Amino acid sequence: MRTKSGNRWKKSLVLLAALAVLILFFGIFGKFETVDEFYLTHMEDITADTEVVRISINCKTILYNWSRLDKQLRDEKYVPANGVILPETAYVYRKGDTAFDLLERVCRYNRIEMEYRGATETGYGSAYIRGINYLNERSCGELSGWMFKVNGEFPGVGCSSVVLQPGDTVEWIYTCDLGRDVGNTYNGAGADYGK
Amino acid sequence: MRGFQGYHPAILFLYYALLLLLSLLTMQPVLLLCSLFGAFLLYAALFGIREMLPDLVFYALLFVLLAVINPLVVHDGETVLFFLNGKAITKEAIAYGGAGSLVMITVVVWSACYTELLTTDKILFLFGKALPKLGLILSMTFRFIPLFQKQADRIGQVQRTMGLYNGKNLKQRFGGAYRTFDSLLTWSMENSIDTADAMKARGYGLRGRSSFSVFRFRLRDGKMLALMLLLSGIVLIGAGKGNMDFYFYPHLAEIETGAEAFVYYLAMLLLCCIPGFCEWKESLSWNYLKSKI
Repeated sequence: MRTKSGNRWKKSLVLLAALAVLILFFGIFGKFETVDEFYLTHMEDITADTEVVRISINCKTILYNWSRLDKQLRDEKYVPANGVILPETAYVYRKGDTAFDLLERVCRYNRIEMEYRGATETGYGSAYIRGINYLNERSCGELSGWMFKVNGEFPGVGCSSVVLQPGDTVEWIYTCDLGRDVGNTYNGAGADYGK
Repeated sequence: MRGFQGYHPAILFLYYALLLLLSLLTMQPVLLLCSLFGAFLLYAALFGIREMLPDLVFYALLFVLLAVINPLVVHDGETVLFFLNGKAITKEAIAYGGAGSLVMITVVVWSACYTELLTTDKILFLFGKALPKLGLILSMTFRFIPLFQKQADRIGQVQRTMGLYNGKNLKQRFGGAYRTFDSLLTWSMENSIDTADAMKARGYGLRGRSSFSVFRFRLRDGKMLALMLLLSGIVLIGAGKGNMDFYFYPHLAEIETGAEAFVYYLAMLLLCCIPGFCEWKESLSWNYLKSKI
């Protein structure tokens, strides 16, 4: 039989202490926001002389690779019928905006779920977009993920390394074949994926 | 007849393997809870309810802790409850953390019970002939932690009896703990080598070596095997038909509630309760017979 020493409550105390530390830590350093507070980032109204940048998000390629899409994602909610998650829209340009900043702000504003790995967590010093609207990398086959074009071209670097100019157009596109199905002919396709 | 422990080692091992497989492969909440219930039933039957209380509290805290930690790390999921430092805390991530910790607790409790049920002699009996090395390693691993604990207690007692390091201040207590751990490590290495040497000296694993064992495959073992295969077969059919699939992201899958699903749940519940039920019945009838003397 097992030993009956009196300290069998000790291990519970350890867990309790860990829980207390966690709660204390986030109680002091945590910034709690309700869902509404988080999403109600006020975007300035666009006037005639406002400098703007345009952005669109689509996942049309998934419509042609439906059978490879994860089962739980086969829903209108995640993949709109026309494949357009966000039609091209103009937003206020802020000085120093990178393609990543714009995407993050726009996703917050439109309540589109977005998941990324920050610049310090990837191997190439730039943020990596893991998923938009619950469509993550590898959600639609092994070679799928998010790519972006600026003014119709693939920059070939990470999205937080691309500083936008007023009037730029950013397209976020879901690829199911390492960019080949969306017209990226860049030789080292894959190098800019941060895998 | 001694409850579930009295069954043939092969039956015990097969049951263990089956349950670990079912508990580890599925994250379906109903199946998980069935498995957990069965594990605690057996645990209570083997060690007593009062003995179980500290562990129960520990597991409950572990459950809460993991359910809290997972949403802090994972921000996937549709139903955002609130934002913490700009990151979403979602219902799905909490559910996943909870389910994950249930899997862990289930496996730990089953394994704790099995150190009592599947003793080393039974493991050696099972694997000694065909896979002697694996058998020895398995039996030593199963026994490792309880043995470690026991030896640690013993070393600690000796230290205290000698009057060493039993002071109240922190430095002395750490010193004592370090000393105990130090000698425990040395002892455990020596012990494992000694065990291996002793087994070798007895010709363990050599061809043609005979050994005595008390285990015979009786009719009741056959009945139990049939019951186990039937029940687990039903559960596996359910899993194969996709009724037991469950996913957490981006939204929680619905728990199947049809009559068909209910059959699978019932089969799982029965399967998981077999050992606990056998042990309870045995201890009850034993107490009943004793009361008549």
